[in-house]
Amino acid sequence: MEQLSNSSFKFFSLGGSNEVGRSCHILQFKGKTIMLDAGVHPAYEGLSSLPFYDEFDLSTIDVLLISHFHVDHAASLPYVMQKTNFQGRVFMTHPTKAIYRWLLRDFVRVTSIGASSSGKDENLYSDEDLAESFDRIETVDFHSTVEVNGIKFTAFHAGHVLGAAMYQLEIAGIRILFTGDYSREVDRHLNSAEVPPLPSDVLIVESTFGTATHEPRASRERKLTQLIHNTVIKGGRVLLPVFALGRAQEIMLILDEYWSNHSDDLGGGQVPIYYASNLARKCMNVFQTYVNMMNDDIRRKFRDSQTNPFIFKNISYLKNLEEFQDFGPSVMLASPGMLQSGLSRDILEKWCPEGKNLVLITGYSIEGTMAKFLMLEPESIPSINNPESTIPRRCQVDEISFAAHVDFQENLEFIEQISANNIILVHGESNPMGRLKSALLSNFGSLKGTENEVRVFNPRNCVEVILEFKGIKIAKAVGN
Amino acid sequence: MSSTIFYRFRSQRDTNRILFDGTGLTVFDLKREIIHENKLGDGTHFQLRLYNPDTNDEYDDDSQVIPRSSSVVARRSPAVRAFSANGGGMSKGSSASLGNAARYVTGKPRVLQKKQ
Ligand SMILES: [Zn+2]
Ligand SMILES: [Zn+2]
Repeated sequence: MEQLSNSSFKFFSLGGSNEVGRSCHILQFKGKTIMLDAGVHPAYEGLSSLPFYDEFDLSTIDVLLISHFHVDHAASLPYVMQKTNFQGRVFMTHPTKAIYRWLLRDFVRVTSIGASSSGKDENLYSDEDLAESFDRIETVDFHSTVEVNGIKFTAFHAGHVLGAAMYQLEIAGIRILFTGDYSREVDRHLNSAEVPPLPSDVLIVESTFGTATHEPRASRERKLTQLIHNTVIKGGRVLLPVFALGRAQEIMLILDEYWSNHSDDLGGGQVPIYYASNLARKCMNVFQTYVNMMNDDIRRKFRDSQTNPFIFKNISYLKNLEEFQDFGPSVMLASPGMLQSGLSRDILEKWCPEGKNLVLITGYSIEGTMAKFLMLEPESIPSINNPESTIPRRCQVDEISFAAHVDFQENLEFIEQISANNIILVHGESNPMGRLKSALLSNFGSLKGTENEVRVFNPRNCVEVILEFKGIKIAKAVGN
Repeated sequence: MSSTIFYRFRSQRDTNRILFDGTGLTVFDLKREIIHENKLGDGTHFQLRLYNPDTNDEYDDDSQVIPRSSSVVARRSPAVRAFSANGGGMSKGSSASLGNAARYVTGKPRVLQKKQ
């Protein structure tokens, strides 16, 4: 490997480059090393789901920042802290840490598949690993700058889910902004992502939706409720596979209101909505605690009614499928969101042979997962408990996205406001990411060859991007 | 009585072991065992390399025998396409590092093809 010159900035992904899943990026500048995120890839299991940790000496990392609690950004953190020679400090926001604790316990259970022949533990980490590492995670407040060993960083609201942060880092006069997953839309409970007041030299930005355009939120909400209404009125069942926390709460706010307003059409309580998640129930008070980080609308509701807006009138929690009496039309929200295994998968297999039932995907579906496969409307799907047999699929399958990632226009406007000369695209499948790169290059085409030329990178995992910073910035830093 | 080969993933603290009968395992079989033991899947999404922990030399010959009681370092990295964008083919020295780990799962040892 080449020796880095003193002014070289290096970016290196262990995961999440040209893919969605296992987000994990390394930054190196002036002898400082930062890791951003430590996720898993939901389409793979065990060690395969990890970022390529063997490709980097984790003992050299000074600081690890976690953007938000989703498993593709946070679920390999206990592994990094307990199973590798990582010795750095770890930071996340308060709500992220509050939810992370519950979420990963669930993750340990879901991925528990017993011990192998040689007695090797099959889990990536245990409940004990989780507990031990949890206490060593430090929290950051939004908008307050933390300095560790010459690395300064500040968290800004990213919109995406409760507690989701963008991090602006500053090392020796160079500023880097990492968006994590972000949304520029005010939805039912969260605000739009913020634009940090100080400019950035390097922007590491998500590209999930590439050059696609979202329909306006109001029309997506209308479609969602209409589709569900039409299905249950004909006696069908609706399965909404969701990630337990975050976007599920947004869907529930929509459905709860609709059910209240259309009680008569829906037979006055004859069509129940269930949420099969203990986890979500346990985390309701986290949503209440951090209501001050949400938008004005939800804060006002909370203030005026003095009740937790996340305690729903028309939605009941189900502990397990045994207590579920499946006698007529109903709406069921269940995890995991991509139907890999667990409750949502069990319900899918139960309901998919019936033509009048509906599976409605509202999240982003990663390549290689059951949710992605289902959207191809296959004639049958493999049974999870009996891999030799298949189950006919006659139910309807539809997708209406409430995934809270920017679309092209939102991303472009944000990128223009940040006005960094170096843009590194992450968190996107190769094709949408490639299209976004071309669109950005043509958008900034007039700057080509000038001092303000915008460079766009879409590296693969474990392929480094090296940027040279000479002159003004460094001189300024030296002058300080 | 069964034999043991110790292995450690490069980023891991702990050492694991593969149990087998006999005096040694070929690199091919050892990789297959490690993939199987760790449920790494069909091998198409990654490549697996093994190294001598003392010399850091890669065991790049699938037929080489690793004697029992040895220790090796394993390294999981992204799969790469056999031919790079600049038109370069497989170079002999690094051929074991190219491609992915699928052959260790399907059980078909790699046959080095002569240049045509
Ligand atoms: Zn996310
Ligand atoms: Zn994500």
